[in-house]
Amino acid sequence: MKTRTKKIIGWSVVALIVVALIVGIILTDGLYASTEDISDVMQDAVLHEENQVSIFGYNVNPGLVSAYVVTLILLALAALIRIFALPKFKNVPGKFQLAVESIVGWFDKLAKTNSPHRNSFLGAYIFAAGCYIFTGTIFELVGAAVVSTAGNSVALPAPLSDINGAIAMGFLSYFVILSGGIAGNGMRGVGRTLKDFSLPISMSFRLFGALLSGLLVTELVYYYIALSFVLPVIVGVLFTLLHALIQTYVLVMLTSLFYGEVSEPHVKVPKEKKKKASKARQGAK
Amino acid sequence: MPLNINWQQILLHLLNLVILVVGLYLILYKPVKKFMKKREDDYKQREDSTQEALDNAKAKEEEYTSRLSAVEEEVAKKREDAAKELAKVRTEKLQEVAKEADEMLTSARERAQKEHDRIISGVSDDIKEIVGEAAEKVVMTSSVNDAYEQFLDAAETGAKSALAGKKKTVTSMTKTKGRSARKKQ
Repeated sequence: MKTRTKKIIGWSVVALIVVALIVGIILTDGLYASTEDISDVMQDAVLHEENQVSIFGYNVNPGLVSAYVVTLILLALAALIRIFALPKFKNVPGKFQLAVESIVGWFDKLAKTNSPHRNSFLGAYIFAAGCYIFTGTIFELVGAAVVSTAGNSVALPAPLSDINGAIAMGFLSYFVILSGGIAGNGMRGVGRTLKDFSLPISMSFRLFGALLSGLLVTELVYYYIALSFVLPVIVGVLFTLLHALIQTYVLVMLTSLFYGEVSEPHVKVPKEKKKKASKARQGAK
Repeated sequence: MPLNINWQQILLHLLNLVILVVGLYLILYKPVKKFMKKREDDYKQREDSTQEALDNAKAKEEEYTSRLSAVEEEVAKKREDAAKELAKVRTEKLQEVAKEADEMLTSARERAQKEHDRIISGVSDDIKEIVGEAAEKVVMTSSVNDAYEQFLDAAETGAKSALAGKKKTVTSMTKTKGRSARKKQ
């Protein structure tokens, strides 16, 4: 009986809050729409020509601000774990330790699986890149606002929805692959890496496209206040989480695969065998 | 630049990423991996030592099993030897006992025969003595009948004493109290 009464009271409170919010919205400005045109908003989300942010006298895209904020968050979190949690790690892990070890272990295993010959640096890189892409994409949900140079309020987007951020990530991954090729095979490794010259472009634009699409949909949804209820739960949260996971997986998987391919030691085939093989081929013809 | 690509911002993003990669590697990835490696080594070492202990235990078990079987064989052999020895000793003892019994029986028989002979010879002397005494008394007494009566008593008494082995009970006819004595009284 008591439980039922408590349930009734709880649901009543929730319903009252919802009703109060709706009334508040209608009374304030129920038919609010942004003063900017939707096409301008979406174009600016892609190009950032108008709404830039000023940092130390430089006008930069909001995505760059997001990138540094995400980096700060990640480094702070890592430092907190390093200072407070890591010294208390035990041989039989607790829940938090298990989560940290699982994340590190997953990236380490991925590096070892895809690049068995050389994977120490690769593991560290894909760990950082994976954390950055995932956290950066989730960061979009926070919607931290900054004031643009044009005087508008701009919500900080995912760092990789900025074309410059995506290009930086794509090229850095390519350089990492190139370094693996050089370390593993010298000039042969360079040749192998340069063979896939389209890789940084494809990586960059894949990331950019995936995250920009999320940004554009979010901009579209939030442009109209009427769409700002219920729908963002699916569009904003679930889709963001989903493509955060997918993009993280795709980039780290591709990087580790190519890294493993170019760093694989070259096996010399003896000349006699080569001759025999060529003779056998001629005979078969 | 198309799409608002800005090289300066790309370089700023690259700087940010490099800082992030180095920072995360030094602060989190490396220490956690080090911890995991240490734990893995620890478990591997434990596993090795356990395996070693297990191997040692197995080797000892095999050694003890082989020893046990050898001891069992030895025990069985000794038991068999002991049984044989026991049977031999028993046979010897039985033979000894039988021999002793034979000897004892023989000596007992000899002793009995000797005793018998001695008693018989003793009785003959007594009878002779009695007869002598009786004859003397017959001669001494007036009545032949009394003498005869006394002779009979003496003979009867002598026979009884001979049977009882009491040689000295009947030594003379004067000590007897037969019918003739009773008649005198």
